[in-house]
Amino acid sequence: MMNQATTRKPVYSKLFSMLMLLAGAAIVLIPLLWTFATSLKTPAEVFKDDFFPAVWMWSNYKNAVLAIPFFTFLKNTLIILIPVLVGTVFSSALSAYGFARFNFRGKRTLFLVLLATMMLPSQVTMIPMFIMFKEIGWVDTFLPLIIPAFFGGGAFNIFLIRQFMRGIPRDLDESAFVDGANKMQIFTKIMLPLSMPPLIAVSIFTFMGVWNDFQGPLIYLNSSEKYTLALGLSMFKGLYNVEWNMLMAATMLIMLPPLVVFFVAQKYFIEGISISSAIKG
Amino acid sequence: MRNSKSERAGYWFIMPWLIGLLLFTIGPMLFSLLLAFSKWDIITGVQSIEWVGLDNFKTMFHDELFYQSLKVTFIFALVSVPLYQVASLLIALLLNMRNKGMKFFRLIYFMPSIIPAVAASMMWIMIFNPEYGILNRALALFGVQGPAWLQDPSYALGALIVMGLWGVGNTIIIYLSGLQGVPEELYEAANLDGAGPFQRFFNITLPMISPTVFFNVIMGIIGGFQYFTQAFVMTNGGPLNSTLFYNLYLYNKAFTDFEMGYASALSWVLFIIILAFTLLVIRSSSMWVYYQGDNEKD
Repeated sequence: MMNQATTRKPVYSKLFSMLMLLAGAAIVLIPLLWTFATSLKTPAEVFKDDFFPAVWMWSNYKNAVLAIPFFTFLKNTLIILIPVLVGTVFSSALSAYGFARFNFRGKRTLFLVLLATMMLPSQVTMIPMFIMFKEIGWVDTFLPLIIPAFFGGGAFNIFLIRQFMRGIPRDLDESAFVDGANKMQIFTKIMLPLSMPPLIAVSIFTFMGVWNDFQGPLIYLNSSEKYTLALGLSMFKGLYNVEWNMLMAATMLIMLPPLVVFFVAQKYFIEGISISSAIKG
Repeated sequence: MRNSKSERAGYWFIMPWLIGLLLFTIGPMLFSLLLAFSKWDIITGVQSIEWVGLDNFKTMFHDELFYQSLKVTFIFALVSVPLYQVASLLIALLLNMRNKGMKFFRLIYFMPSIIPAVAASMMWIMIFNPEYGILNRALALFGVQGPAWLQDPSYALGALIVMGLWGVGNTIIIYLSGLQGVPEELYEAANLDGAGPFQRFFNITLPMISPTVFFNVIMGIIGGFQYFTQAFVMTNGGPLNSTLFYNLYLYNKAFTDFEMGYASALSWVLFIIILAFTLLVIRSSSMWVYYQGDNEKD
């Protein structure tokens, strides 16, 4: 029945689909809008039925930032983020270049190991890594959250960049080789500039990863003046003097940077994710 | 490729990864395996690690919280994996229509997956609030008295599952890219044969995107078994351990009780469970995953 109706009257089926999409979009957006609205309410209004506040209290944002050590958390997040970005991009690109352009003994096996590590749950290495970092006195510093980024930069990132590099014509680097460029020069002068799309995707994913990371800072950072934004926000949830409206203002502030990055760089984002679906079993 | 010089160069370039592999993956795995058969509270240095054989695994058999956390995690995985896959695929089908404004809808649906898990958790704590949360207020409009969601042991896990549905944007985008890879000619041919939309879906779309389904199911299982942040922030396992996810229990054992040996044993059990499920899906995939052309190169 419905088959017939939809093939005969594509207009109705299209209309129905559009309505479904609109309803879904409303479900996605209403919680966000409500959070935003709550962040602008007075404490009393939080408990009332009105969706929007009578007067938009922008001062909630100022007060939220002052109520929790927001800028300290932001600074800590950036202290971790910037070196992790540099380390991840550079070291994953290096390894990707190695896998994309050279033949060496055991390469296939090593590449399989690389893919396998993507499947390994981080919980297995979490405890020994903590013990290791504790033994060398790195617990409650940013180092355990930064240093590993310089050693490979993540299997998925290497895979992503390697796939792209394999698509770059070999003539380019071979002619540079003939012109006397060494391997490292070929890497920095030819491969890196040409691999901008996956490098940008990796940078965005890394930014998101650090910004969102919760379990890492939770394990390694003890003193509250070292908390990152994600950790700090959750720890201030239970604090008696933080009101819902202010907590929601802080919540809006922490979700804003990833959203801005997403809207600016959505092309790379979606391409990066789409590539991941090309992995076959 | 060429000579032994090139061989060495290759090793040099992958060296950071190789060192990282030894230092942060293989080394820790071996140490973790040793710990799984040991008893050790971290406070007394490494020299006090005590070999206890299978004791940790025997303890698990009598550990009610171990069973509870397994139960919670299995329920979550068994409900959420199929639910999220079906929902994402349906939305992806809608988003795959050729229409103006689709780009805008795609942005909206993807947005929640950009939001940090902690921020989303804060938002949903408020949404689920029994008195002034927007969910129960909306239900009240239909005359339904909503439950106390996160405070009620019979609803808390369900609440987390519902919340996850809100953030399936990632999966949607992967399905969308799978759908866009289906050749248009197949649909045209099917239309000539008079196939309806359901026939087109089950005979063309689904087989053609089965590799994507496969990928998403595996990622869903792995993610489901490692669920942590939302449970930690929103319920911390409660009420009455109704949301004590496996990973949360593992974290508590390691970093609250400092039972590093037992926690390591738990982590290996988790690893084996994830591995078993992944292998199960991979093994079964030859029956339902269809690769176009099937001439994989390297």
